[in-house]
Amino acid sequence: MAEDATAQERLFALRETIARLEGKALPAMAAARQADAAVAAEGAAAGSSNRFCFGVQEVDCLLDGGLPRDGLTEVRTQLFRDSGAATALLLALTSRLMGSSGKDEKATGEPVLWIGDTACVQEAGLPYALGLREFGLRPDQLLFALPRKLEDALWIAELALASRALAATILEVRGNLPGFGLTESRRLALRAKAAGRPLFVLRHAGEEEASSAAFRFRAEPAPALERRLPDGSMLGGSLGHPVFRLTLEKSRNPAPLSFTLEWNSRDRQFLLARPAVLPVAVTPGTAYPVDRSPASVDRPDRPAQVGSLLAFDRAS
Amino acid sequence: MRLTSLDEMSETLGLRLGQGLAEARAIHPSVEVVDENPAADRSLLEAIADWCDRYTPLVAIDGEKGLLLDITGCAHLFGGEELLLNDVMLRLFQMGFDARGAISGWPGLSWAVCRFGHGGVVADRERETIAAPLPVAALRLEQDLVGALRKLGLKRIGDILPLPRAPLARRFGAQVLLRLDQMMGRVEEPISPRRPVPVLSCERRLLEPIRAEEDILHLAGQVALLLLPSLEARGAGGRVFELVLFRVDGKVFRIEAGASQPLREPQRIAALFSERLKAVHDDLDAGFGFEILRLNVLRHEDFRSTQTDFEGQGQQAASLGDFVDRVSARLGCHVLQGVALRQSHVPERASVFLPALDMPAASKRDDLHLGFQIRDRPVRLFRYPERVEAVAEVPDGPPFRFRWRRILHEVLRAEGPERISPEWWLDEEDPGERDYFRLEVMTGQRLWLYRKGHYHQDTAPGWYVQGVFA
Repeated sequence: MAEDATAQERLFALRETIARLEGKALPAMAAARQADAAVAAEGAAAGSSNRFCFGVQEVDCLLDGGLPRDGLTEVRTQLFRDSGAATALLLALTSRLMGSSGKDEKATGEPVLWIGDTACVQEAGLPYALGLREFGLRPDQLLFALPRKLEDALWIAELALASRALAATILEVRGNLPGFGLTESRRLALRAKAAGRPLFVLRHAGEEEASSAAFRFRAEPAPALERRLPDGSMLGGSLGHPVFRLTLEKSRNPAPLSFTLEWNSRDRQFLLARPAVLPVAVTPGTAYPVDRSPASVDRPDRPAQVGSLLAFDRAS
Repeated sequence: MRLTSLDEMSETLGLRLGQGLAEARAIHPSVEVVDENPAADRSLLEAIADWCDRYTPLVAIDGEKGLLLDITGCAHLFGGEELLLNDVMLRLFQMGFDARGAISGWPGLSWAVCRFGHGGVVADRERETIAAPLPVAALRLEQDLVGALRKLGLKRIGDILPLPRAPLARRFGAQVLLRLDQMMGRVEEPISPRRPVPVLSCERRLLEPIRAEEDILHLAGQVALLLLPSLEARGAGGRVFELVLFRVDGKVFRIEAGASQPLREPQRIAALFSERLKAVHDDLDAGFGFEILRLNVLRHEDFRSTQTDFEGQGQQAASLGDFVDRVSARLGCHVLQGVALRQSHVPERASVFLPALDMPAASKRDDLHLGFQIRDRPVRLFRYPERVEAVAEVPDGPPFRFRWRRILHEVLRAEGPERISPEWWLDEEDPGERDYFRLEVMTGQRLWLYRKGHYHQDTAPGWYVQGVFA
């Protein structure tokens, strides 16, 4: 009998371990988990869910209630010039995160850390203080770290998570770097989990890569809607709220999913955008003598590119 | 070529300073000559001055070959002036230097006794008897003034002392009297230290030298604990700390670390240096170990002690400060930056980056009141505006298409222009007006372009892209 009980206990312990690895809640363990959370007294209250959402019901349903407040989320762009959309998505998510955390006064005191990468700063600049207003962030809420090396960037990210003094940490990387692979992302994800703080990885001009992010989005800009006039009509030829097309590339949901979101900077919320009435963007074909493949740096296991690259004179 | 310095052996051979090299070689063909290297001499003197920090923080370099130490209030730590001088001389001798030293109440007298007398400690009451037999050159006068005095038979200081002052001043100028007064202690002569004197300083002398990084940090924590009462008495916390490590063989390492907010807690001070030590790891050669460890407070500020509330608000600010300190200590203070707004319409001037270390982390500043509404700014601003080739509507329309980074973009929609005039009160020459446009290109990106200048008959303005919108 006693043996039976110990076996049962071990079984439960193993189940719990597996559940924890998978990030799922086991009903049998829920009570114990709650007791645990109360003791740990972490940022996440035991009652509220440990997720924050887009605020769009259809999307949140697909994300099992939202993005993890204590985990790694990755956003990637295919090309450097899409950096605006990806940056805006991250800033908007950060803004939602800070707005939605129940402890308002406390949370707004914590800044967001933006860890820039030298190459990305050269190519796409840095978030602009006056542009942050569109996302409800104050300039003094953003701290920038500009380390010279990737190792330093990872160290800063780890320290930032461990310190629990930052509302969110955003790590910018360029392409698929050998120094930032599955091991490193797993390590950062575990740190984020332990600290209960979110970490976002913004991968510019990168390919899909195995990582330990719970969700990975590909962000692209989409044609914006026109500005709304007070009487409900649209102002022709104007550029309204930003719209991005997001593709959910990695999630618990098996099917890849694409949707278009509009960020309403006035209400600070996402809306599912209506299909654009504007002409659909045509991706130019071979008429352009430019290599359109992502500017991926030496990825560990990347097949060599077929064909030859030609160097053209600088156009500008 | 002339001889500028001699060693003991050549002195006994009868060579003189200032002698021609050819002459010296003619007398002693076997003499070994080394080119003078003033820079190396200087750095050696600086290193010795650094080493002398162990006796007093007020060390000044005096000329090319001398050091002046202000030991006011320090002598008793070494058992008195006599013992202090012996200690200095012995240690310098052991390091292989031929040094002479003297202690007296005035720098001028010490200078003279050490170079022209027998050195040692000069008591105040015997200063005249000691100074009298010294040559007039001991007065630190210019060479021709010394020559003029000697020509008149005034060879020793004792010859000048009883003379009436007025004729002496009339004949030789005020310099002689000033130097004489400085030597006799009638005029105060300050010693200007070569390094800023720390506000507070604590040290630990070790019998057994330490080498390991952990030992250094542990000891730094202990020394920081000694600093605590003094900081508390002043109601201050240190902002810039300096850890001075004296290696056994005389080399001195100085490691500076700044904190984002006034610090007092020994653990946090030690943690500051733990990152710094990792950063300077390769430069810090422990050799045979460090024998003295000193912690200086170079800058301090008022320490506001706040009681932590039950919510732990205070702790949170502390941990943010801690994070900023650790990153800045390890990677340099320019790695972590905060943003501040400036009153300017020019986009790149409207926001500036400041080291996060200097920004008060806890204080929440209000949004800068610009006096005007700024809207529709890009989410990312490029470091420098990038030139594009654009085809635009003349004279002031948006571009139809433009080539940016070798790719041709078709403009779908445009908003603008928003004109930003240059700030003539800042710019040296007129950079030209900018007309900004928000553009949406065919592939969906929204960009911020501007035209610098206007279309004229013969010149075309430049088009630049400065940022990307969401």
